[in-house]
Amino acid sequence: MSDHTSKPKKKRKLSESSTAYLLIAPSLLLILVIAIWPVIQSFYFSLFDLRLNNPTKSEVHTSHMIDLQRYLDNYFLLEGAIDNELDKADQGNAETLNGVKEDLSKLDSSLLEDGKIKERYEIIDEKLMNLEKVGSKEKLVEVEKDRAEEIQTELNDIEEKLKGLDELEDPKAVKGLSSALADSIIKPNFIGFDHYAKNLTDKRMWMSIWNTVVFTVVSVAIELVIGLMIALLINKAFFGRGLVRASILIPWAIPTVVAALMWKFLYDGQNGIVAKIFEEIGLVERMATLLTNDTGAMFSVIFADVWKTTPYMALLLLAGLQTIPTSMYEAAAIDGANKWKQFFTITLPLLKTSILVALLFRTLDAFRVFDLIFVLTGGGPANSTETISLLAYKVMIAQSNFGEGSALSVVVFICVAIISMIYISLLGRDLLEDKK
Amino acid sequence: MQKKAGPLFYVGLSVFIFLVMFPFLWILISSLKPVSELFGEKAFVPFTSDPTFVNYQSVFVNHPFLTYLKNSLIVSGVTTIYTVLIASFAAYAIARMKFKGKTVILGLVLSVSMFPQIATISPIYIILKNLGLTNSYIGLIIPYTTITLPLSIWILVTFFRKIPFDLEEAAKIDGASIMQTYWRVILPLAVPGIFTTAILVFIAAWNEFLFALVLNTQEAYKTVPVGIAMFQGQFTIPWGEISAATVVVTVPLVIMVLLFQRRIVSGLTSGAVKE
Repeated sequence: MSDHTSKPKKKRKLSESSTAYLLIAPSLLLILVIAIWPVIQSFYFSLFDLRLNNPTKSEVHTSHMIDLQRYLDNYFLLEGAIDNELDKADQGNAETLNGVKEDLSKLDSSLLEDGKIKERYEIIDEKLMNLEKVGSKEKLVEVEKDRAEEIQTELNDIEEKLKGLDELEDPKAVKGLSSALADSIIKPNFIGFDHYAKNLTDKRMWMSIWNTVVFTVVSVAIELVIGLMIALLINKAFFGRGLVRASILIPWAIPTVVAALMWKFLYDGQNGIVAKIFEEIGLVERMATLLTNDTGAMFSVIFADVWKTTPYMALLLLAGLQTIPTSMYEAAAIDGANKWKQFFTITLPLLKTSILVALLFRTLDAFRVFDLIFVLTGGGPANSTETISLLAYKVMIAQSNFGEGSALSVVVFICVAIISMIYISLLGRDLLEDKK
Repeated sequence: MQKKAGPLFYVGLSVFIFLVMFPFLWILISSLKPVSELFGEKAFVPFTSDPTFVNYQSVFVNHPFLTYLKNSLIVSGVTTIYTVLIASFAAYAIARMKFKGKTVILGLVLSVSMFPQIATISPIYIILKNLGLTNSYIGLIIPYTTITLPLSIWILVTFFRKIPFDLEEAAKIDGASIMQTYWRVILPLAVPGIFTTAILVFIAAWNEFLFALVLNTQEAYKTVPVGIAMFQGQFTIPWGEISAATVVVTVPLVIMVLLFQRRIVSGLTSGAVKE
């Protein structure tokens, strides 16, 4: 193949780049599907009032629809329940119940006048009879806005009428079913930027951003200083270097959750040794105040984070230090520069890229902090250690409010994007350059 | 700065190592204490007169800890193998082939590694729930790619670039195709780099918390970090059990770090340092 003239050579060049694309394709596809698409989708969700615990808002709806499965299920059950009540009802109740029954059948036949609804109505009715599963898309039929509102009014009327009844045999059945039936009409839950507007004026969200910034700036700054000191300290030949390196890797290697639990034990207000030591040296007034007081809790979280991630910082900086040739220091020493001068004129400028890269990774990690705080304080006391990721998690998972939670997670994303853009503009194109 | 170290240096170093290791030592001691010595004045004594394995026993008997370990092993193991395989193709192409848009692709990989997990979790949760894949292994392995794939590509590119380019030229002259060159020539030389990447990916998957917490809520599918985090009850915290579980999880990692520290460091710092 290669001993031919220029033409096959050209062909091979072409095939090299297409092979390259082929090799990259699986990775790119995965990245698109599991990272980029979800972020876009999160933004889309954030424009909707999406709540997984509310049947009419559990999905994104852009138009008015009727949920025929819900309608049919509850319609027949409600009819049956009303018949049951009618057997034992006094006269007043019987009148209302009969009226409701009439309303219901009138509504039902009016629905069947619509060809589109009728067709689907029959399919779903049959499926329900045979106890078959109805598809989540299949059960929904689009209806005009005006018509949907009309049906909703009628369903609400029915619910109201039944609500007013006293002395029913099984009031829960009738009232519950009628309110479930009223949920059959689905309205579009698009709300635009309302979640953002609400959160941008919400004190809790600004407090969580503030907490995240305090945590990030303080912990990363301390980690940089201590990390640099450690790196300078161990950047020399000494006995047992491998062991030292291994022992500082261990805090990095253990799961953050496990580290958080360990510190929670050490900080414990009654039995924690670190809390006890802090009390003895006068850092806190009483052991118990460490985790129950705003500043104490934030301090504890930062302290645990510094313990866990300083080694990583030190290793990144050590690798940078090792690329500085010793000859530079020798030359400086001959010129009479003292250690401090050498540090500021050789070490720091040559370490600039390493420091920026280490800071970039650590700042982003710290800003996204979740595990450590989730386990150690749960965001408390009184939300004083609640970070933005934790707030987004709470809104999304604990409250099942996916729309608002997504909006908060988009805020996290935007903050992270801004931080990385600042660092990358400081680093220049160094990071991505094709070095050879 | 290749200066010989003095005795003062070793004293300082020992103090530093002690401070780093102190939480582990304390947890190790506590895990061997009977419950009565975990509270009151005896809680602050750095030894126990009555060592016991009752906490360890309780971790495995009162909690499905073996199941957690099994789940973590399966999820992290499969994630590691499949990510490193796919990433090695991409990294090979990026490191050693000529094509357009390389910087853009590398930039994309780097930016994805910076994505906050929380920003991807709601769509991933909803789609996995609709597919019936929450509380399954595959439902955790796929989302883990977000974290592990960019990491693997990034590290592997650095390793692939270090392999001499003459080898490929020689293989080409001998008439080997690109895939043959990759399998026969490059891959054997890249084994140390791939191994390093695998260790880091495994640790990242083993330690992951948020996805595991949200996606796998059933006991039978919980991973170790979620399992341990849920040891704490509503009102009481079983510190003895937590200490024992911590030791059980930490010891294998300590062994791994001792064995592979050189590789881990080279993996962690690759791409972060200009050579």
